[in-house]
Amino acid sequence: MNIRFKKGLFKDHWFTIGFFLAVFFAALTLFGPALSPFDPWDMSFEPISPPTADHILGVNDGGQDIFSELLYAIRNTVVFGIISGLVALGLGVLIGLVAGWSGGFIDIILMRISDVFLAVPVIMVLILIAALFQPAPLFLALILAGFMWPTISKTIRAQTLSTREAGHIRAAQQMGGSSWYIIHRHLMPEIFPLYLIGFAAKCRMAVFMEASLAFLGLFDPSRKSLGMMISYAIKYYYLDIWWNWLLPPIACLSLLIMTVTFLAISLEKVLDPRLKDTLKESTA
Amino acid sequence: MSLYIEKLSVLYKENSHAIQALEEVSLELYSGKCLSIIGESGSGKTTLALACLGLLPKNASIEGEIRLNGRPVDYDDEKSLNELRWAEISIVFQNGAANLNPVHRIIDQVAEPLIHRKSIGHAEAISSAAKILGEFGLGHNECNRFPQQLSGGQIQRALLAMALITDPDVLILDEPTCGLDALTKGMVANIIRETKYKNKAVLLITHDLEFAERNSDVVAMLYLGQIMETLPSKDLFHSPMHPYTMAMVRSYPAMNTSRDLGGMRGDAFYRTMHQHGHKKGTLYRHTHIQSPGYEHESGHAPSTGCIFQNRCTQAVDVCRLEPVALEIIGDHEVRCVRHGIVDILSLKGVEKKYGDVVALNSTSITIKAGEVFSLVGETGSGKTTLAMIAAGVLKPENGKRVFEGKDMDEWIRSDYESFSRKTGVVFQNPAEAISHRFTVFEAVAEPLRIHGLFNNNDELNKKVTEALGYVHLSTDTAFLGRYPHELNMGALQRVSIARALVLKPSLLIADEPTSSLDPSVQAKVIKLLLELQTELGLSMLFVTHDIGLARKISDRIGVMLSGRLVEIGPASLIIECPAHPYTRLLIESVSGISPDFPKSNFVVRSNNGCPFTERCNRAKDVCKHKNPSLIGIEERFVACHYPLISEKL
Repeated sequence: MNIRFKKGLFKDHWFTIGFFLAVFFAALTLFGPALSPFDPWDMSFEPISPPTADHILGVNDGGQDIFSELLYAIRNTVVFGIISGLVALGLGVLIGLVAGWSGGFIDIILMRISDVFLAVPVIMVLILIAALFQPAPLFLALILAGFMWPTISKTIRAQTLSTREAGHIRAAQQMGGSSWYIIHRHLMPEIFPLYLIGFAAKCRMAVFMEASLAFLGLFDPSRKSLGMMISYAIKYYYLDIWWNWLLPPIACLSLLIMTVTFLAISLEKVLDPRLKDTLKESTA
Repeated sequence: MSLYIEKLSVLYKENSHAIQALEEVSLELYSGKCLSIIGESGSGKTTLALACLGLLPKNASIEGEIRLNGRPVDYDDEKSLNELRWAEISIVFQNGAANLNPVHRIIDQVAEPLIHRKSIGHAEAISSAAKILGEFGLGHNECNRFPQQLSGGQIQRALLAMALITDPDVLILDEPTCGLDALTKGMVANIIRETKYKNKAVLLITHDLEFAERNSDVVAMLYLGQIMETLPSKDLFHSPMHPYTMAMVRSYPAMNTSRDLGGMRGDAFYRTMHQHGHKKGTLYRHTHIQSPGYEHESGHAPSTGCIFQNRCTQAVDVCRLEPVALEIIGDHEVRCVRHGIVDILSLKGVEKKYGDVVALNSTSITIKAGEVFSLVGETGSGKTTLAMIAAGVLKPENGKRVFEGKDMDEWIRSDYESFSRKTGVVFQNPAEAISHRFTVFEAVAEPLRIHGLFNNNDELNKKVTEALGYVHLSTDTAFLGRYPHELNMGALQRVSIARALVLKPSLLIADEPTSSLDPSVQAKVIKLLLELQTELGLSMLFVTHDIGLARKISDRIGVMLSGRLVEIGPASLIIECPAHPYTRLLIESVSGISPDFPKSNFVVRSNNGCPFTERCNRAKDVCKHKNPSLIGIEERFVACHYPLISEKL
């Protein structure tokens, strides 16, 4: 796509920060279990004890090591957010492109369907499903994705409608390019920033949603999650535990969301050659 | 019939090969007529003249027959040949002074034919010579001078006098106007007229097309020893039927042409017959490129088929198969497998509506092979709509489209991919028409990728480099990796032209390709387009609102007004004397003259009237009610009830 792609990326501070955060979280996600000093389900320690050399973040009310718990929680939340975000993005881009490119009847049908999904309050549906069926977290992630795609597909469709009239796309049609070729080579790169923004927004939403559901206690109580940790820690806020028990999951949640946002901003700039140049000038 | 040449072939023998100067040339020259032979240098014009007088050098081998006043000319009988020369046929040679004896006075040399051929006494001959020289504007003083004491024009007059003094039946003029001043040229024209009037025949050999058109009755186009087309001279400029004739016309700076000289693609050849060592006695025909700097290899161009094929704008596979015979088409005799210049594209009665808005009323245009056709008109007149219908991008509601002899609608429906290879489009704004995510290389390679017309990356690189070479752009890696926003508009438009040409289309459609460029860049792009048009033998549909620009580039112009074609014809004619008031308005407005037309108020028109009525100062009642249809005036068509042309005539 872009010859000076890699070089351009690291000139951007947003990307550098985002990249290292992403590497950090990826490492925690992949190697979390190996890094954790204790089994997070082991309840044999003294409850609500402040940090010590063994337990660097202390022990929670159930007698579990908070640091180990945090590592497992990050893993769950990241996986939930990425799966949900990716599936929502995939559905949204596909439906948006098909609707925008084909137009007419197909467009109307697809957009009415997305309107229906937009009208449904997601959190209610998720609470109901979680409470009634107690499904696996992965399944909940997919259901969440199933409700998140319409906003992506709406923006993608709108952009497709305006981009399909662009000169270079008309030129490619004149040259005999097939619909697939034009979508693949002209349209998809043109609306790429929208994917990144969509993905970032949906990941953020999924991470929030997972935290909220866990906070509300709708997941299996033994499943480690950032939301669940916040929910438990909140109960003891009158004790002096906020910095070692409440702060770490909140900080991780914020950093996760920041990672996604930073990467989205920087990739959008770097992948568009025109924006890249202004970027070079501003950071030079 | 004065002079009859039948299947005349002349070979100049050299050591191992022979140069083919003429091949089966047949001509008929009647008394009281003038026949022009036109051709490039080396096409065999002079050989033909010399053959008529039996003056060919010894190494020439002649086949065929020449008959003068019904009697065949016997080349071996030097005595009878001598009697023929000057008594029945005389010639004015090329390069004047070299043909005169420097040690004799002019008057003696002019009198010489009379003394020798007609056995007239010396004194009488001298007085006739003085008389005829006087008629040609050479007085007593000049007559008694030696050739080197006269100017070029005077020598030409002396030579004419010498040729005419014996009152021959056939006069051959070999490049009589070459290097002459305009007035002597006028005198030569007078002599031709008078000679014709005296019921003599004139064979005019020239490459001065305008002179030939005005002074001869029939024109024969000679190329590499073959006659390509014989046509009435009135058709020479506006309706030639052979691509060679058209190319010659476009190369000639006639007074009334407005476009830049087009030239002809490729280079001149000469043809030889080889006697190969291993097959003694058999002659093989070859064609060589004459100009230096070419490898001998590439010089062996066409050895079968039409000899003009590699310089032709419409050559197809059939042209390579076998030699072509002359074919009679109307007044013309044409040597072309495709029966003369073909139509690349013809649109018949195409219409386009957007909802209730009629963008294009029923319109018909035809674009011939190798022609530049311009559509001009004000904004919103339907130019781009028509061009996009021609490109196959838009589909007309009604009408018929024929591209290269095939039904275009059917072609697009069944196989758009193969159709899209035939047309290249250069869009108005290159910054929009090339994706800003594509590098120069990717942009030019795009059509090749779409059509999968390459086997490996080397081939792709080669084709892209070649296309960039057409448009004189750099082909180094740094440039190939640049993005559109890093280039200036002129370079970008050239990239876009390279992209349009990379598939080697037969029709290039350029929609206002220079309207976003400044004049100096526009000049470069236009020159480039014309050069490519000539060198690649493309046909071109050029859309512009600038009639001044159209004037410089087009062979024919179509003027559009609110979705109608109101005037269509040869560019020179339309620019010189526009027949439609709207065309005149366009021409005047382009140079900034404020028009003397009534102020336009662009009121909603009734469907019936002429769309120009409100702005026209010639409009009468009938213009408001009846829409004029196209009528032919001279070589052009115009849709106006009261065309301006009558004023000019």
